[in-house]
Amino acid sequence: MSDYILDMRGIVKDFNGVKALDGIDLKVRAGEIVGLCGENGAGKSTLMKVLSAVYPHGTWQGQIFWEGKELKAENIRQTEEAGIVIIHQELMLVPQLSVAENIFMGNEITLPGGLMNYSAMYKRAEELMAELKMPDVNVALPVFHYGGGHQQLIEIAKAINKKAKLLILDEPTSSLTKSETAILLDIIRDLKRKNVACVMISHKLDEVAAVCDTVSVIRDGTHVGTRPMSEIDTNEIITMMVGREIKNLFPREEHPIGDVFFEARNVTCLDVNNPARKRVDNISFKLRKGEILGVAGLVGAGRTELAMAIFGCYPGQSSAELWLDGKKIDVGSPRDAVTQGICLVPEDRKRHGIVPLQGVGANITMAVLENYAKFGTIDAEAEMAQIQKSIARMRIKTAAPNLPIKGLSGGNQQKAVLSKMLLPKPKVLILDEPTRGVDVGAKYEIYKLMFELVKEGLSIIMISSELPEVLGISDRVLVIGEGQLRGDFVNQGLTQEQVLAAALGHTEELAA
Amino acid sequence: MKLSSKDLQRFFSQYKIVTLLFAVVVIWVFFNQMSDGYLTPRNFSNLLRQMAITGMLASGMVFIIIAGEIDLSVGALLGLLGGVGAYMDYYLHLPMWMTISTVIVLGILIGLWNGYMVAFARVPSFIVTLSGFLAFRGILLGITKGTTIPLESAGLVSIGQGYLPIMLGNIVGIIIFVLLAFLAFKTRAGRAQHGLAIAPLWQDVSKLAAVAAMIAGFVFTLNAYEGIPVPVLVTLIILGVFSFMANKMVFGRRIYSIGSNLEATRLSGVNVRAVKLIVFGIMGLMCAFAGLTTTARLAAASPSAGNLGELDAIASCYIGGASSRGGVGTVYGALIGALIMASLDNGMSMLGVDSFWQMIVKGSILLLAVWVDVVSGAGSDR
Repeated sequence: MSDYILDMRGIVKDFNGVKALDGIDLKVRAGEIVGLCGENGAGKSTLMKVLSAVYPHGTWQGQIFWEGKELKAENIRQTEEAGIVIIHQELMLVPQLSVAENIFMGNEITLPGGLMNYSAMYKRAEELMAELKMPDVNVALPVFHYGGGHQQLIEIAKAINKKAKLLILDEPTSSLTKSETAILLDIIRDLKRKNVACVMISHKLDEVAAVCDTVSVIRDGTHVGTRPMSEIDTNEIITMMVGREIKNLFPREEHPIGDVFFEARNVTCLDVNNPARKRVDNISFKLRKGEILGVAGLVGAGRTELAMAIFGCYPGQSSAELWLDGKKIDVGSPRDAVTQGICLVPEDRKRHGIVPLQGVGANITMAVLENYAKFGTIDAEAEMAQIQKSIARMRIKTAAPNLPIKGLSGGNQQKAVLSKMLLPKPKVLILDEPTRGVDVGAKYEIYKLMFELVKEGLSIIMISSELPEVLGISDRVLVIGEGQLRGDFVNQGLTQEQVLAAALGHTEELAA
Repeated sequence: MKLSSKDLQRFFSQYKIVTLLFAVVVIWVFFNQMSDGYLTPRNFSNLLRQMAITGMLASGMVFIIIAGEIDLSVGALLGLLGGVGAYMDYYLHLPMWMTISTVIVLGILIGLWNGYMVAFARVPSFIVTLSGFLAFRGILLGITKGTTIPLESAGLVSIGQGYLPIMLGNIVGIIIFVLLAFLAFKTRAGRAQHGLAIAPLWQDVSKLAAVAAMIAGFVFTLNAYEGIPVPVLVTLIILGVFSFMANKMVFGRRIYSIGSNLEATRLSGVNVRAVKLIVFGIMGLMCAFAGLTTTARLAAASPSAGNLGELDAIASCYIGGASSRGGVGTVYGALIGALIMASLDNGMSMLGVDSFWQMIVKGSILLLAVWVDVVSGAGSDR
């Protein structure tokens, strides 16, 4: 059909045999705004990377037709020349360079001899800024002078300057304030009038509903449906996004739950780069003894930041009031947290969990090494006895306890990091995405272990992006969206739709 | 069985020590062929004495490098501390014990200052110690007014020039052996107590026999000349203490884990700043030892003492297998690195090679050693 500017047909992309995309279609007309929706890991970003040739032609199957002709781009430069420009969630600006220099990066206007033609670039940059209704921006100033909202628009100016006919926006508003978001959505509508098409990936369904003409939903790498926005509402989108059964992967076991044991009050975290924005906005919650508290929410909702603030390792400014076993506790560093009985198994195993060059054993005993030492000298044998006990309990598969941990599989590394954080005998254990990148077998063992631990009286906070996991394991579910507490549900008859609706900020409609 | 490049890689990274010792032997044999009197007790004694000062610095430096930092100020600090020692001795006529203890305390304090700036003020170690590199040398020039200060006390001079009496040398050899044997059997007992598998007795015994032969050869060779030089003894003690620290102590384990992944270590509840602070403090202590030894060896403090000493120390660590990305390295490796550098210096001097050639050769050896390290894949895929 010729009125489509973009026509992607049957896109299949696999990573080592795992299909991330399994036959996806996506069509965009000139000047149309298409919302692309799906849960975490549904394949949205992968699809956009296929389109923008981050994955070059030939590394995936299927066809892309661009303005009626098949597109076989080898790299991003070629897709940009064709007029497809992607703006990533993490902005790609160089903060120390000026606005104009950023806009023209890679496309500099030059004088003979390769000198920068600053006057021409400033003039054009000012035109672009005026076009985007930001005439106040001084294009000669470094980008870091401007906040996240302006930076997003500078990225768009950069795209317009490349004569983009199709703009791909990956979570464009995730780091913006409300008013900045409003401006951005206006600009997108403006571009539409200039016949620039737009694919917007967003978790914020009200924004999708506000600007999009069409919505495409994908789930687990397959295309669920494409509908005009006029025909559906956000609740239907949610149903399309979830649409799957919870399989019996979760070895749920009955366990007694005691009184409130831990309480966090008024946890607030400010964004590191944009302190006007709150990553976590005044969240309070309670945790009972022997309870598994699931924390659900979309990526970037502020769940990890909440955990970091409680553990005393949030990199920016944060404040929290913590009560443990009836006493107020002060946590200024991970060390404080560990000694007072709060342990965290971090989300990013490679960066925050393992010490790659050290042995499995040394990783396991890292947090409690002092306990196996006299006058600072390690009792290697006592330590080894504990290591072997931990390895046996968690069934960590390693040829020898002193082999570097980097050689282990993701699941076994995760079990080792878990063992490490169990040795200080925590009272509250925070697990941030405990089963990410872990195979099914190890997942099952980790769930088993969690139930064993709560039976021993431990309280667990589990952050997870996988809704089936949250519903399959938790006793209670906290839902976080855009840094705010959006729901606190007892996990009885709770559905994925309810949780997702709360995460997206649609509680009122559902309650009604 | 086919020997693949992967097997070769594994051999290199597992038996790095063997490769390094092999390099030492090759260098010695080469110079012995080229000149008479290279492999004599007298020259061996000289060689080790030459190596001792770089060795002391390298022993401290290797911890800094393992922790993922760098210290460029050690050469200048060595000069400064040696100058302070000579000043106290020659101008103030203070007793030897006071001179030595003041220099040691001063060294530790300056090292802690560097560590404070790195760990707590978060200034990159390259900058902190580059500033020390300039400032410490400047202070030294101010104190000495650019002149050489001689030493008065014969006791101080013997720190650098003295020898251990033959009898005492033998006793030291025996003590070292008994200590190592004791540690080996303590490990066996400990493993038995915790129900862990124990290696067969003959393995430990034959290991100890090999160690005994090495110690005996070392002590007899040195005793065949004048005895064990005092600086060499000090270096050996440092080797023992630091190796123990690196392998058996909580503190040592922390240094490696900080260098390999600082964030994961911090998130495990380790006070990573304190560890860095102490590592720099130890480096300061090593500078004090090296400064006193240098001054004593020359019986005077020269304003250029320790010039470029930091680079020799850093090169020794890298030649000895430390990784520039942190997390990897050994004290004995660094000392063998220092031995290789000293052997080259000594041999080329004996052959009358111009000093510009010596610099070129040392520079090339450093590059070669690290290149081999990179190719052999140690510390890759981080």
